[in-house]
Amino acid sequence: MVVDKKVFANMLVQAAEYMQAKTEYLSEMDSCFGDGDHGITIGKIAALIQEKVSQWEEAQDIKSFLDDLGMAIMEVRGGSAGPLYGTLIGGLGVDLNDGENTLEAEGGKRMFTGCLSEMEDITTAKVGDKTMMDAPIPAVEAAQKTEGSVKDILEAAARAAENGAKDSEKYVSKFGRARRYKEQTIGTPDAGAVSTSIFIRGLSDGMK
Amino acid sequence: MKMKKFINDPANLTDELLDGLVLANKEIIYRGDQNMIINKDPENADRVTIVTQGGSGYEPAISGFVGEGMVDISVVGDIFAAPGPQACVDAIKLADKGKGVLYIVLNHAGDMLTGKLTMKQINKQGIHCIKVVTQEDVSNAPRENADDRRGLVGCIPTYKIAGAAAAEGKSLEEVAAIAQRFADNMATLAVAVRGATHPSTGATLADLGEDDMEIGMGQHGEGGGGRQPMKTADETAEIMVNALVKDIGIQSGEKVMLIINGSGATTLMEQLIVYRKAVDVLKQQGIEVVANYVGEMLTVQEQAGFQMFMARMDDELLRLWNAPCNTPYLKK
Repeated sequence: MVVDKKVFANMLVQAAEYMQAKTEYLSEMDSCFGDGDHGITIGKIAALIQEKVSQWEEAQDIKSFLDDLGMAIMEVRGGSAGPLYGTLIGGLGVDLNDGENTLEAEGGKRMFTGCLSEMEDITTAKVGDKTMMDAPIPAVEAAQKTEGSVKDILEAAARAAENGAKDSEKYVSKFGRARRYKEQTIGTPDAGAVSTSIFIRGLSDGMK
Repeated sequence: MKMKKFINDPANLTDELLDGLVLANKEIIYRGDQNMIINKDPENADRVTIVTQGGSGYEPAISGFVGEGMVDISVVGDIFAAPGPQACVDAIKLADKGKGVLYIVLNHAGDMLTGKLTMKQINKQGIHCIKVVTQEDVSNAPRENADDRRGLVGCIPTYKIAGAAAAEGKSLEEVAAIAQRFADNMATLAVAVRGATHPSTGATLADLGEDDMEIGMGQHGEGGGGRQPMKTADETAEIMVNALVKDIGIQSGEKVMLIINGSGATTLMEQLIVYRKAVDVLKQQGIEVVANYVGEMLTVQEQAGFQMFMARMDDELLRLWNAPCNTPYLKK
């Protein structure tokens, strides 16, 4: 199975649906040490993904669509989640070629490497800093290591992202408003890492 | 919790306050798209222009300093939240009159993220723009780790210095170098005695005991300094002056700018009493105050406390500080 425009659109819509379903859960998690609005912002991002996918024009390739979608998401109000998610999602297209509308295993891997390099341009957060990066960094690593179809690669990334988000509960917060709570943050996962893992899980499950 | 504030629907706070600001100063500024406040003056400007960005809820900062001789466009986010990069990219393109744009960003996580993403786009599009970051809070990191220092009231005099340098017709590289030199030689310390209320959510931003104060409060009560029993104005001023002098490394015989910036609920009476003692402490150390401001420049709602700002001055910086400007909240 390959990822073409139609499949990619389904993947994004599935991700948006998963995000919509978890908004309250995410806000609750965020309210422990953050503003408690992460779910609201994720809901806005998900709605924007759905809207933009529904308007995806025939002539626009995957790379350019993701670039536009990323820029639009950056403007979503509600703290840093908009710019971070915009970079993450726009980044998926960065290493794709113009006019490339069919992705196989190698293309799937490129999607994740581009995404990580864009994120690393704007944040120095590493795994263990208790930020959203706790999910995509292991996801990209897992994607690179996986041999198999593009579906296998997406599945490996989704699993690694989920494990990474789960592991974030063990860490002490090093960034953002939660940082001042230090050791108290142990035991609560990072809401951004969890929402990112939900997004990547949606991409994988949406590939059908 | 019920808020005792004169507001309407919390969702419209930023929109309504910007409308009010523009109505009150319509000979100086107007409102652009995407929450931009634009200087009326530079329509035909043949000089470097100045763009900045930041959240709302800090009035008069940041948009109260848009106008002749200071900021050309401010891009405003929601209450206490940075705007997105697209609006900043658009503002920089709009501001560019062919001589380049100086883009001033305060060091707060959201603003820095937007700043980086904006510069990425701006560089891609080949626009001549230099970013200067203000990061002068001495309480949360030593000078060597400037990246961890928050941007407090120091952005305002930086706007003034940069705006005046631009008005003199200097190149973007020169304007940026002057702004950077000023920013590298400034420091701020914040003290708070009572926290603010987030005007959208009603949440209390800092929790201080009845008899406590905290020196090193940051902008919104992030803390990081020393919580201690309440002291007198003179005692507090002395502690703060000494911390700032030490941080910048100011020596006897040098000249400084001194600003007492009220955080919102501390009276001008208190600010003036503190200022008087601060000047006295400096004088005893052979340091002369050659530039000053006492009053509210950058507030946090009804937070009680103030920020003390100090910067090393030279003849050029002093000339730029004293140059004419006409903005809603600073006129020279």
